[in-house]
Amino acid sequence: MKKNNLLITINQIEDIDKLKKLGVSNYAFPLKEFCVGIPNTFLISEIPKEYNSFLFMNRVLDNEGIDKLKVILNNLPSHIKGIIFDDLGILNIVKDLKIEKILYLNHFNSNVLSIKEYLKYVDSVVVSTDINKSELDFILKEIPNKLTVCVLGYLQAMYSRRLLLDNYCTYYNLKKENGLVITSNNEKFFVYENEYGTVLYHLPCYSAMHLDIPYSKYNFINSAFLNIDDITKFIKGNNPRKTDTGFLDIDLIYKLKGENND
Amino acid sequence: MIELLSPAGDLERLKIALLYGADAVYIGGVNYSLRANAKNFSNEEIKEAVLFAHSINKKVYVAVNIVFHDENLNGLDDYLKTLKEYAVDAVIVSDIVAVTKAIKYGLKVMLSTQASPLNYEAIKFWQSLGVDRFVLGREATREDIIRIKNETNASIECFIHGAMCTSISGKCVLSNYCTKRDSNRGGCAQICRWVFDTENEPFTMMSKDLNMVEYIEDMINIGVNSFKVEGRMRSIYYIATVIMCYRQIIDNITNHTLTLEKKNYYKLVLDRVANRDSIPQFYNKFPGVNESYFQDRMEVSNQDFLGIVLDYDKENKLVILEQRNYFQIGDVVEFIGPNMEPITYNVSTILDLDNEKIEVARHPKMVVKLPLNIDLPKYAMMRLKVFDKNSDL
Repeated sequence: MKKNNLLITINQIEDIDKLKKLGVSNYAFPLKEFCVGIPNTFLISEIPKEYNSFLFMNRVLDNEGIDKLKVILNNLPSHIKGIIFDDLGILNIVKDLKIEKILYLNHFNSNVLSIKEYLKYVDSVVVSTDINKSELDFILKEIPNKLTVCVLGYLQAMYSRRLLLDNYCTYYNLKKENGLVITSNNEKFFVYENEYGTVLYHLPCYSAMHLDIPYSKYNFINSAFLNIDDITKFIKGNNPRKTDTGFLDIDLIYKLKGENND
Repeated sequence: MIELLSPAGDLERLKIALLYGADAVYIGGVNYSLRANAKNFSNEEIKEAVLFAHSINKKVYVAVNIVFHDENLNGLDDYLKTLKEYAVDAVIVSDIVAVTKAIKYGLKVMLSTQASPLNYEAIKFWQSLGVDRFVLGREATREDIIRIKNETNASIECFIHGAMCTSISGKCVLSNYCTKRDSNRGGCAQICRWVFDTENEPFTMMSKDLNMVEYIEDMINIGVNSFKVEGRMRSIYYIATVIMCYRQIIDNITNHTLTLEKKNYYKLVLDRVANRDSIPQFYNKFPGVNESYFQDRMEVSNQDFLGIVLDYDKENKLVILEQRNYFQIGDVVEFIGPNMEPITYNVSTILDLDNEKIEVARHPKMVVKLPLNIDLPKYAMMRLKVFDKNSDL
């Protein structure tokens, strides 16, 4: 996999030098107060000035969040190259900003026409991770060199505004610790919560690092819960931990076959 | 106008919802709606639904709210053109491709809660594309709604009753992992109601249901335009009861006759017809441990729904009733129906179709006759009398 189009979220500032040595040059900083499911987030003032830095925001925002973000964007330092975001309210307020805009509308953008619509407003769109490989290949071929593809990281299986872990621990009088592993139907998830909501991540970690992904603009790594040594191994082409390919090799059932649904 | 909006899983439910007081219904076609495995409406049934609704000055909205994969786009244009031809009143969508195509074909567009808009800038974005109405994310608080209304003057639709997603709508693919069914294409298997194993106590995340009786007047005052009931898979009895209650609540508010006693009565009836606890959720406070279920599904079912009126024999003054649950001589029941107050009735005589007296109506869907001097309309229902509205008033 090419290194120069990797776009990676940063856990710790110290990791950047190691990533730079590997040929990675695009870094995304999860913005404090605007992320869910991510342990390490940053204030704008903590983001180093010498790199290609993107802001990463994956929260669904309420009005208060939008108001706060407007203040931040009005004073955006020049070293911020771009912004990666989920909420379409953000799209509406960054439309005219002269920075690179990447829409990461999680679980949406599963077809060519929708992506083309959003590309009227942003520079790149993250393709849904809920599609299979042939769907991904088709989309990339139809819209070459514009799209961002997730290639590594734990995938969100669910994002709730509720504090599910807090409720659970309160009910059972347990000490609250993020990372609770839950299992059902042979599927495993872990629970991570902050004041803005709860995320259930699927286990094991998703990886498409071994795949040939032509035509993408960026290949995106969400490094949350991965350490720099493992990330380094992944980038070098090794696989240091158990992974799966998400839904790339699965044909999800759209409709059950039945008398009303044939 | 304040709109009461009901779900309808099929034509029978649609007719009942509209007759019992809904101003509009939302339905799904065979394809493209988020209840992929429900019966849903064929194109011909959609046509019939619209004709019926329009004949009584009511509206039909069609959900086209899946997240489209490329393979699902085949046929979408033709489908939208057909909906336009049938004069459906709006489509409910979440994917931008469906928004732009629907607008291209001249359809009125409502943004589905699946898109979870929770701030005024998101609403402004969709408004710029031509979206007419917004079903806010179910996490919207009272203050969120007021601010969105003030900043955008948008037509706002809010859920007022029924089941809640634990997740922010559209942000859950638990079904994809656990059942390989695509939740954002109608395959949600309600995994958030499952019990998960941990190394400690079992993990659950089930939300209690939504019930906004206490806040309808306030919601009207802050400018909510449409009051939406959840549940396209629900029974005719559930729909009739819930819609009738909210119809009366809204009408009582409008004509300043809603008393505390009436409100309490409606709450009792709604609690009884649902089989789970229901609360206001995010509107008035952040839902915490007491707003969730733990350990297992705590559902209590009942057999209150005793029968549906098929016809009224005026000559012999007999109600022709299709049985839905066991009842017998001596039971105290009540009839409910469109535009009528509940009628208390003591079952003293039950006749079969040969006019022979029987003691018990025990077989599901058996047709019986009951003597009554009041001409009951088709689709009136008989239920066990549990609460006395009049004595509570």
